[in-house]
Amino acid sequence: MDVSEKDELRNGDDTTVNYDESANNPPPDWRVSGSNPVSDSYPTENLMMETLWYDPTNVQAVGYGGFNGGGNASSSSSFRGNIDRSLEMGWSLPNLLPPKGGNGMFLPNASSFLPPSMAQFPADSGFIERAARFSLFSGGSFSEMMNQQQPLGNPESVGLFLQGQCTSNEVNVVGVAHNDASAGMKETNVRSSEQGNKQNVSEDTQSSGGKGGETSSKGFDSKKRKRNKQNAEADQSQRSQQSEEEADNNGGGDKKRNDEQSPNSQGNKTNSGKQQGKQTSDPKDGYIHVRARRGQATNSHSLAERVRREKISERMKFLQDLVPGCNKVTGKAVMLDEIINYVQSLQRQVEFLSMKLATVNPQMDFNLEGLLAKDALQLRAGTSSATPFPPNMPMVYPPLPHGFMQQTLSSMGRNISSPLSPPINGGYKRQETNGWEGDLQNVIHINYGAGDVPPDSQAAAATEASLPSSNMKVEP
Amino acid sequence: MASAYNPIYTDVPEKDVFALHFLQTLSNLRTQNSFSSPDNKTSDRVKKIKKAAYVSMARAAGGTNRLWSRSLLHQAAKRNNKNVRFLRRKRRVTWLMRRRSNRGDPIEDVAAERLRNLVPGGGGMETSKLMEETAHYIKCLSMQVKVMQCLVDGLSPK
Repeated sequence: MDVSEKDELRNGDDTTVNYDESANNPPPDWRVSGSNPVSDSYPTENLMMETLWYDPTNVQAVGYGGFNGGGNASSSSSFRGNIDRSLEMGWSLPNLLPPKGGNGMFLPNASSFLPPSMAQFPADSGFIERAARFSLFSGGSFSEMMNQQQPLGNPESVGLFLQGQCTSNEVNVVGVAHNDASAGMKETNVRSSEQGNKQNVSEDTQSSGGKGGETSSKGFDSKKRKRNKQNAEADQSQRSQQSEEEADNNGGGDKKRNDEQSPNSQGNKTNSGKQQGKQTSDPKDGYIHVRARRGQATNSHSLAERVRREKISERMKFLQDLVPGCNKVTGKAVMLDEIINYVQSLQRQVEFLSMKLATVNPQMDFNLEGLLAKDALQLRAGTSSATPFPPNMPMVYPPLPHGFMQQTLSSMGRNISSPLSPPINGGYKRQETNGWEGDLQNVIHINYGAGDVPPDSQAAAATEASLPSSNMKVEP
Repeated sequence: MASAYNPIYTDVPEKDVFALHFLQTLSNLRTQNSFSSPDNKTSDRVKKIKKAAYVSMARAAGGTNRLWSRSLLHQAAKRNNKNVRFLRRKRRVTWLMRRRSNRGDPIEDVAAERLRNLVPGGGGMETSKLMEETAHYIKCLSMQVKVMQCLVDGLSPK
């Protein structure tokens, strides 16, 4: 039916518009065919997951296993949900190929999109390496660049653009196209900016040379950052972001330089922030942009390694605070051993205590309702927790007689805390709040000796019957 | 604590929550027939209590928000032959395995492996994520230990 077909087309339109910012004008037959296997898209999504690829352009795409950029988009978005927000290393570049391969059927091409198939890339000897370096940050800048470029509707231009970029001056590929603040980056602008860049590059080298001995480092760092700032818009947006961040990090002198929107500002900014590897998270895309440290390898892999190591060391420090007695210990290995020992000891403690519980009270016939009610009281008065306990409250409360409740309440005042048994594991001391356990013990004592138990038997059955069901609900 | 500046979210609910869940689970156990029979072996009971402790801890500490708790509940459910509901882990594992194969720090990897064996659900995580989970797990474990200790103290004859 025509109507249905139109609906399909419209659906395809929506999807392509929403998810496929990359390809603006796919051929209509593609769209039709693309809209049909909507339901089949999930297998391709799985396939995409296998390929480690993602399309940074479609960060905002909902997990729709579409085609073209969309196909990679779904995997990318779900990747991003999974991945630890760390660097994506050079995998973004292969995504240039799908458009390059033409706007035909992508489903058959999808199977060929495997990392080993990088040989399908244009035969440029250093292309892959440069591409990896090019897409180092692979963050928002790249994606936005892709966004900007792909509307060109000419896939080849993208590849050519890359090649053109890669062949440009590598020492200081300064602020490549960022000056050309054209709203939509056209291909021609790209080309012209390339030549313009070469002039800017020479300018910048001179200017940076004049900065006083920091050219080399700046060169490294600037290369890292400028490689990605191929897009004027993305660049400006990024730069405004990063200039803010850098302004926060740096002293006052660099601020005015950061605000400049000129090729020199690029060099100046990296000038200021180069001393430490900085990690700033881009709230837009969820990527973390890292700068190479001074005099360190700027390979994308090593950078990612460093990011990872820093993360791990940060968490180690956090763990150090948790584990008692680990302040003096330095070094990852020893620290990790300590943590492992601590976890093992905790688990052993749990086991030992459960053994004790089993032996101490074989029937476990202490009055749970009282305990629960008391805990409920504490919970009510105290802080709110994340558990869905409140819904269970009405179930626990009503069956209990009021006199019983008041008894427990009055007992809270008393403090009959028994001396703590010596720590099970001598190395780790426990800090117990006396009042809390005193209350608990009070309740238990009361339950043991309470004469109010008989009327609770029915209530006990009721609550116990309700408890299992409540436990079912507790499961989030 | 250190969680003030730490971007890692490792807050743990209060002791009461743990106590509540533990007691609920224990009462659950009590309703089962095998518990009240006197000819029950102690070791079985111990195992049941231990399992109850872990499950209640997992529930109290955040249900399925945390990887380790999720995996714990998953294991428990599997043992009870309940319906397994967490199905989304395979893809992540394959991706992470591939990524982890690139890592080359032997010391840290060995220790990380041991940690992975200890912390439930650690098999499919990267090291940084593993450490987050470990931190939260440690906190919850210590809380659970406190709760159990209080219970034992309360129940032991004076």
